[in-house]
Amino acid sequence: MARGAGGTPMSATTLADQVRHARANHHTLRICGAGTWLSAGRPAATTGTLDLSGHTGIVEYVPGDLTLTARAGTSLTEIASATRAEGHWLALDPHGAGAGTIGATVATASFGPLASAFGTPRDHVLGCEFVSGTGDVIRAGGRVVKNVAGFDLVRLTTGAWGTLGAITEVSLRLRARPEADETLVVAIGSELKEAFAARVATWMRTSALTPFAAELVSPTLARQLGHDGGALMLRWGGNASFASAAATEAATLGDSTRARETAWTDLARAEPVGAVVFRASTLPSRLPALWARASSFAEGAGGFAHASVSRGIVRVVVPTEGSSPDAVRKGIQDLASTCTLVCEQAGATLWPMFDCTRSSDALRAGVKRAFDPDGVMNPGLLGLP
Amino acid sequence: MSDALAAQLAAIVGERRVLERAGELRSYESDGLPGYQKRPSLAVFPGTREETISVVRALAASGAPFVARGAGTGLSGGSLADGVVLLGLHRLKRIISIDGDNARAVVEPGVVNATLTAAASEYGLHYAPDPSSQTACTIGGNVAENAGGPHCLKYGVTLNHVIALTVVLPGGDVVTLGNAEGEDDGLDLLGAFVGSEGCFGVVLDATVRLVRNPEAVRTLLADFHSVDAAAHAVSAIIASGIVAAALEMMDAATINAVEASIYAAGYPTDAAAILLIDLDGAAAGLDDDAGRVSAFCTAAGARSVRTATDPAERARLWQGRKKAFGAMGRISSHLVVQDAVVPRTKLPAMLAAIGEIGTRHRVSVCNVFHAGDGNLHPNIGYNSDDPDESARVHAAMGEIMQACIDAGGTITGEHGVGLDKLAYMEALFTPPTLRAMCDLRQVFDPERRANPGKVVPVHSCREWHAAPAARR
Repeated sequence: MARGAGGTPMSATTLADQVRHARANHHTLRICGAGTWLSAGRPAATTGTLDLSGHTGIVEYVPGDLTLTARAGTSLTEIASATRAEGHWLALDPHGAGAGTIGATVATASFGPLASAFGTPRDHVLGCEFVSGTGDVIRAGGRVVKNVAGFDLVRLTTGAWGTLGAITEVSLRLRARPEADETLVVAIGSELKEAFAARVATWMRTSALTPFAAELVSPTLARQLGHDGGALMLRWGGNASFASAAATEAATLGDSTRARETAWTDLARAEPVGAVVFRASTLPSRLPALWARASSFAEGAGGFAHASVSRGIVRVVVPTEGSSPDAVRKGIQDLASTCTLVCEQAGATLWPMFDCTRSSDALRAGVKRAFDPDGVMNPGLLGLP
Repeated sequence: MSDALAAQLAAIVGERRVLERAGELRSYESDGLPGYQKRPSLAVFPGTREETISVVRALAASGAPFVARGAGTGLSGGSLADGVVLLGLHRLKRIISIDGDNARAVVEPGVVNATLTAAASEYGLHYAPDPSSQTACTIGGNVAENAGGPHCLKYGVTLNHVIALTVVLPGGDVVTLGNAEGEDDGLDLLGAFVGSEGCFGVVLDATVRLVRNPEAVRTLLADFHSVDAAAHAVSAIIASGIVAAALEMMDAATINAVEASIYAAGYPTDAAAILLIDLDGAAAGLDDDAGRVSAFCTAAGARSVRTATDPAERARLWQGRKKAFGAMGRISSHLVVQDAVVPRTKLPAMLAAIGEIGTRHRVSVCNVFHAGDGNLHPNIGYNSDDPDESARVHAAMGEIMQACIDAGGTITGEHGVGLDKLAYMEALFTPPTLRAMCDLRQVFDPERRANPGKVVPVHSCREWHAAPAARR
């Protein structure tokens, strides 16, 4: 879907009118910003679209407060360029192109390797405005960095995939850019991948030099990033003395080279169109074994994997072209028996494999009913009506 | 409350653990904030998880409203209500496990915050959220209030440290929120629960993140001839990209209260404001950061910047800060410790406004707060038995809250709404937003029996006209 026509952004009230109109006429709405996630294959059958692509622009940016408020359709690129000018950044690097919107990033709780140090969207969002399934405009949270006033509708909306309402505006916590921000690539060499991962995990648990990101990459992905064989990508930020100590320490892990300038954006955009993408997660102490299994599966199926060591998360990317559906299915089943799987994108037939039931499902259904009693907003997503 | 319920509860927890007499219940009439007194009809103190579940189910069966309570150190009147069953959780104080490899602990709700850190120390870990009451307050209470503390500037508040919770809902169902062994997918009910002020259910156990003890720490004390200059130093430090572990400000009134007390920390008594700054992490580069922070303070007009040279001096400087509220107890019989947040650039103007409001209402406000977060704690010492003075304190606090809202801030950063901030919720949130909060509460507690009357004014709720109040 094309980006907005560049006209004046609609007010939240206008969007609320559209939702109320849809509800009154028994329509259902697919919420759409840049349209990036529509190809995720998550089953949602709707009769209409709530288009937020024109709802763009930074509403407020007070550099001294390190906070920024933007309309949902604002692209990550626009936010990055506005904040860069002030020596700031939104320390969040979700996978995908910079044309993706901040609204979708928050709605899907998308994150990337930087989550190791800075957390996921729930740790960055200070407040949001959203239009609920009843057509109410709700303004949750605020624009300050600490806030416990009222029940936390911000966390509830973040990662809800639009099932409770359409996010129309978000306020974010920014950070000042560090003096140095460097990435080194440590080659795994001939070491077994589980052993290497275990060594990295131990080092991360004990070293005082906490990296911004520490991402294991499987050989196929490493090759795309310009390195031979599996590797560890380490990103550090701080002052010059810190960066130099970090480089020395990285050298103790193996042969290290400086990553190319675009390494992280290349990683964020590495997956082929239409690939099956999911995350396997476990306790950090079990990450090495999971890494060995999940990356072997991914590479064996013609794809690749990468893992955030300290978070215990492996992201698996398997192309649908050229891989056997049965093998993919079996691989997912095998992994599902030992860890938690969260799907990012897959064909409609694979989605049910990622569903799970839990003790709080009645609560989840209750929350959905409370915010969207008639199932107008993104029905079907997250297994909610 | 019926004798039958008391007998039923006694059958679960033992007679000694059920209190009914007015004299025995007196301790549970208030919390850490003066000015509110509410009398529970009885109090029950389960000692195990199973007893807690049975108690909550018995309360559900009889339709009794209840209030969960940890150590009672809350500062918003959150854990008190008239005519309820007080559910005391301080006996649930088991640290169930500490997993050093995965830097986490599983604890019962009555575990004291500082006790967890002490237990984690043998693994080189600590529990990062550090409210000033940390030697008394419990993890259950911290989760209910989404508690903060000085070091949350770098490490995040309670929300950022809770991995999973086992909760008994007011109706008696036991659910797990979050995922202790991987990512949590779907609606963030864990995030919604943290900070729900006891209105969504009772925590049975919490899986919390522990943070590695830093390799090195530098503690700096900068003193200023004006609050404004100190606030500008704060802005310069934040803008530099150096992430201080803590960045605290104390004004002259606070400094003098501390220095006149047994917690005297050697603060300069002629300063208009001091900043207490912790930098921590890897030793590499830390002195460079300390040097820059020192230079920012000097450039903003600091008269001197002192660095603690040993752990004992560091502890002393911090004790003065953490016990500042206690020190104020010498000066007056009651102390309102307030809590509000403004955008950081508004700090100088807001501190001036607070001073003006205090003068106008003839109350003495002293400020000790988390400057790096813009999280203010204007405190007023007074005698709550004096109706005139109490009224003036109340009026001044109301104006301060409104000023913070007008500045784009919020009415509480870490203490919660409780009873004390209810009146300001409508100035902060729109009616649909308040209704949405009520609707969310309704999902967890359809009968509104858990901590009734807190957080959202009842008349903001959609059902207010339609549904009767909780069954009595």
